[in-house]
Amino acid sequence: MTTAMQPAGGGGGFARPNASGLADVLDTILDKGLVIDAYVRVSLVGIELLTVDARIVIASVDTYLRFAEAVNRLDISQEKEGLPGLVGELEHNGAKNKTKGALEAAGDKLREFANGYEEPQRAGRRSRREGD
Amino acid sequence: MAVQDTDARQSAVYVYGILPGDIELEPGAAGVGDPPGEVRVVRHGDLAALVSDVDLTRPLGRPDDLFAHEGLLDAAAAEVPVLPLRFGALVSDDDAVAEELLQAHHDEFAIALSQLEGRVEYVVRGRYDEQDILREVLGENRQAARLAKQIRGADPDATRELRIQLGEILNAEVAARREKDTRAVGDAVDGLVEASVVRPPSSELDAVYTALLVRADAADDLEETVSRLADDWAGRVDLNLIGPLAAYDFVGAPAATAAATATGG
Repeated sequence: MTTAMQPAGGGGGFARPNASGLADVLDTILDKGLVIDAYVRVSLVGIELLTVDARIVIASVDTYLRFAEAVNRLDISQEKEGLPGLVGELEHNGAKNKTKGALEAAGDKLREFANGYEEPQRAGRRSRREGD
Repeated sequence: MAVQDTDARQSAVYVYGILPGDIELEPGAAGVGDPPGEVRVVRHGDLAALVSDVDLTRPLGRPDDLFAHEGLLDAAAAEVPVLPLRFGALVSDDDAVAEELLQAHHDEFAIALSQLEGRVEYVVRGRYDEQDILREVLGENRQAARLAKQIRGADPDATRELRIQLGEILNAEVAARREKDTRAVGDAVDGLVEASVVRPPSSELDAVYTALLVRADAADDLEETVSRLADDWAGRVDLNLIGPLAAYDFVGAPAATAAATATGG
């Protein structure tokens, strides 16, 4: 067992607390905390804010394509036993179809879910991700 | 909202957060703005607000502004209870802070502050290693592996549907792991925390993103617990503990606070 004092960047992957990055700050102070409008009405003052809505949409076509791209970038030589798909293709047709059916049903559900959530996507998420 | 429309107005008062009235502020603390305004205290009754003057002709929201806002409140929260305001809170002048904010809501704020006494927020954030998690999923999901093989080296436009199909499977598989790992963190810190809020993932590779309200005297135990978990998960999940922070996730609408508390251990 090691303690919390181990240096950041080691194998353990645990940084000493208090390391807020810009992305964490955005998530925190743009999205949480008391909203002044709920308490002050008469003397409220407006100002131009440069910040954007930092929330990103997890289940979206963009996310899916990013995942697919990441898979394409996987270093094949590091895949110890080859892609399991190679084995799968040699297997019995019947079993394979069953698996496929179940997964496609799950996929359809996810697609419905995704459709409902694509709308609030904003252009700002890119810059936000880069700041991460 | 009623935003005051005064042509002559060139500056306003930026409000960071609300604290107990007996706090003392070291002079020279830098606030938001360029150049940064000096942070000062406006008091009323048992309450104090941290504020600074802001030039209304310049927009707010540069990274320095964001860090100034959070840095000030987090530093304060390490010493005293703090009700943090969301970034961008501006009122016309000190009188408005004292009367419309502090006086008008005095008891509500005082009670909220007393509930936060001796407590701070931490955020546990974990990220999957992209390559490792994708290999894990491809190793366990036959259809994903088959799709991965089909798109490898193929024309991206011609395989767009297959890519989306693969991405959907991967996203769902990662989401399932996120749910499980978030639960594991919740179980590990159960008993050490007073309340917890699972934040929405901020990246598709998020493994855990949970805010915890912790008694200051339990902070060491929390660090040790999360550190142990980080060791267990080393290589698979990059786990971090962020804090102590002002209790951003545990203030707000009364209903939200009640729901958050109910999920606590």
